[in-house]
Amino acid sequence: MVAVFSRFYSPEEFPFLIYLTWVTSFVLFVSFVVLSTYLIKLRKALRRKEKERKDCKLSYEPFIIEYLYSSEDPKVLTERQHEIIETLKPKIQSASQRKVIISILYNLMNEVSGEMAESIKLFYYKTGLIEYGVAKLQNKNWYVIAKGIGELTRFNIKEVHQQVEPFVNHERKEVRSEAHMYMVNLFHFEGLTFLDNLDVPLSEWNQIQLLEVLQKIDNQSICDIKPWLNSKNDTVVIFALKLAEIYNQYEVNTTLLGLLNHPNKNIRIAVIDALTHLYGIEAVEKLKANFNNLSVEEQISFFQMLEKLVMPTDEPFVEAHLFHKNFDIQLLALKILKSINIDKYFEFSGLPAHKKSQAMLKLTPTN
Amino acid sequence: MDWLTTIIKIFHWLFFAYSFAAIASYIVLSFISAKETIEYLKRNSFVHYKDILSSSMSPSITIIAPAYNESLNIIENVRSLLSNHYVNYNVIIVNDGSSDDSLEKLIEAYDLVLDEHVYNEKIKTQSLRAGIFKSKNPAFEKLLVVDKENGGKADALNMGLNISNSNYVACIDVDCLLLENALQKMIKPFLEDTDGKVIAAGGVIRIANACKIKQGKLIDVNLPKNLLVQAQILEYIRAFLLGRMAWSRLNGLLVISGAFGIFDKETAIAVGGYDTNTVGEDMEIIVRMRRYMEEQNKKYKVSYIPDPLCWTEAPDNYKSFISQRNRWTRGTIETLKKHRKIGFNPNYGSFGMLSYPYWLVFERLAPIIEVVGIIYFVILVILEVVIWKYALAFLLLAYLFSVVFSIIAIYSEELTYHQYKKKGTGYKLILLSILEPFILHPFVLYAAIKGNYDYYFNKTLKWGKIERKGLATDNED
Repeated sequence: MVAVFSRFYSPEEFPFLIYLTWVTSFVLFVSFVVLSTYLIKLRKALRRKEKERKDCKLSYEPFIIEYLYSSEDPKVLTERQHEIIETLKPKIQSASQRKVIISILYNLMNEVSGEMAESIKLFYYKTGLIEYGVAKLQNKNWYVIAKGIGELTRFNIKEVHQQVEPFVNHERKEVRSEAHMYMVNLFHFEGLTFLDNLDVPLSEWNQIQLLEVLQKIDNQSICDIKPWLNSKNDTVVIFALKLAEIYNQYEVNTTLLGLLNHPNKNIRIAVIDALTHLYGIEAVEKLKANFNNLSVEEQISFFQMLEKLVMPTDEPFVEAHLFHKNFDIQLLALKILKSINIDKYFEFSGLPAHKKSQAMLKLTPTN
Repeated sequence: MDWLTTIIKIFHWLFFAYSFAAIASYIVLSFISAKETIEYLKRNSFVHYKDILSSSMSPSITIIAPAYNESLNIIENVRSLLSNHYVNYNVIIVNDGSSDDSLEKLIEAYDLVLDEHVYNEKIKTQSLRAGIFKSKNPAFEKLLVVDKENGGKADALNMGLNISNSNYVACIDVDCLLLENALQKMIKPFLEDTDGKVIAAGGVIRIANACKIKQGKLIDVNLPKNLLVQAQILEYIRAFLLGRMAWSRLNGLLVISGAFGIFDKETAIAVGGYDTNTVGEDMEIIVRMRRYMEEQNKKYKVSYIPDPLCWTEAPDNYKSFISQRNRWTRGTIETLKKHRKIGFNPNYGSFGMLSYPYWLVFERLAPIIEVVGIIYFVILVILEVVIWKYALAFLLLAYLFSVVFSIIAIYSEELTYHQYKKKGTGYKLILLSILEPFILHPFVLYAAIKGNYDYYFNKTLKWGKIERKGLATDNED
């Protein structure tokens, strides 16, 4: 190309910059033609691939469903099941077809449970899909490892837990999140032991997913969460506080009282919320005594606690904060006062506008 | 005449340097964008969105949708907002002093009654008009309608910020179509980050003209027949998939589209909410939130989600289009001027030394430099000093670069979300990339220049409202 241009290149007529501009334009034009042609091919290929995937799914799905309904005992394969496995075994050599078969199995796993799920697991073993799944754990790409762990989780492959466990502290959050999900999905509360040695943060996203899995399992007898409440990893403490709340862990109230002095403000707030939920009445006096040293967020949480656990003896304290500088505290104090002494509440409601707090003005507008 | 030659030479080299820098920046941004897109797709190929969807532990989100004289489509639009699959969310429709029957229609359709709702006016706004309404029907328990005096979009959003009880607020245009999984995808970056704080997340905005919509849900994506809308589709693909994706990677996003974005409410309120004195409130609040975090020395991020989650109606005539772009230009000028302290200021890190200068030089000044270039060229033509084969070489280069860049953007779309699947659309998109510099760019330039003129000489001009025709809906079962 450069040689072709050189034939027409004359330094007197075209300075180098102009020459370069023409060459670049030519390159861009060729790029446009090539890219446009390939774009059309790409679009066709994408459509073809989509069609192949659908066709593949349509041809394999009946086999797999037939496999599922061909036996009474999930541990013993019938002759027909053997035939189906032998038919599909060669197909999994192709990555694209393997992907389709896995996606059919994923969908079926969402719809079945018990013996049927065991049957799918056996299919996963007998077709050799498990070898591909386990091999992903050795891959150098983090996303392949994460996908592999996800697959082993979905098919309930407990046997590889020793290979998955080291990933709970993996440098990529996606990989460790999948490893955490594997542990909890397959070993339920016992799987949470990974928290003992977790030295990386457990994101809120991850926490929600773990809690969702735990709430779906049948056996809801929770393990001892005290060690995690005292963990050096703050996110583990937060997670343990959520467990305490969801599973009504009244026996940890004493530990929670100790955590009211935790150096992390977010933990202190979460502790107040947990104590509120667990009727930690002992916390009220302790927090009242220390109220002025608390952050505004903690003070709001404490008033939310009082809203639920208030006693008539708390009235002077509540009254003293009706004109707190924070609107939320004013409002909570007013609502609490209304619940314990309605006459006093009406006294404040009757104040002239200029003597009212912002919350009083909003809650009991002056005519 | 040596001095004239020298001046001309200086001009030549300045224009050349600017063009070269612009082209180089586009190329660099495309590479960064490609890297970030691949990374994003890998990261999200095995995400369990379902768990977040159904979890009562997931954080609550308030959708705030300001509405002004939206009577035509308000019922459908609200229905669409209420059909999101996320479990823990509510919707606040702020009727911003509409003079039509929007409120009456809402009251009737959603069985609304006045509610004694107490809220803290953390941000000063126009006062309530009829009040705050809640539905008697439990099916619409997520809905809250606020009727207030007119104060503009920013003021309406601020009212929503005051009323919301959630930690996160999604600010959207009421006429936008939000996909059912939009909220859980958008909330993910906020919940995932353990190193610093995500203060806002923006999503891709896609154009819904000619798309088939049934009961507030997107059924079929079509390329419209109108060339102007087609050209905007290409422009959006280029901007959202190549531009913003790259800036997200660099944590340098200065704008989240006003059509759809999620904010950390605490930070949004800490900075005083939306600025009611600008027409570019969506850009201004992001710049102010970033500035606040920088000045507080807090680690933060503005995230970006490339999935096509929000679909909106684009202007289908040049009058509305120019009015919209005029407003965008004025918004950019106002924001950059208001926060000029940040520009080239090392105290603001890459925000001050990279994002701000880029916006100033390649967004704010680009139309002015282009027009000066055109005028300069005309003068050279009049003086008969143009060497046409040189000029044509540069024009051709600029044109071909723009076409190839658009083709690359289409590739990015095809390899990621592949939204325009129908046969024949590929040829149309290629043709569009050839035509777009003629059917869209001149009007973008005109609108930008008009925006500059209006900003400096026509101060009374505020919002330019797009005439909505409503998205193509099909309500048959």
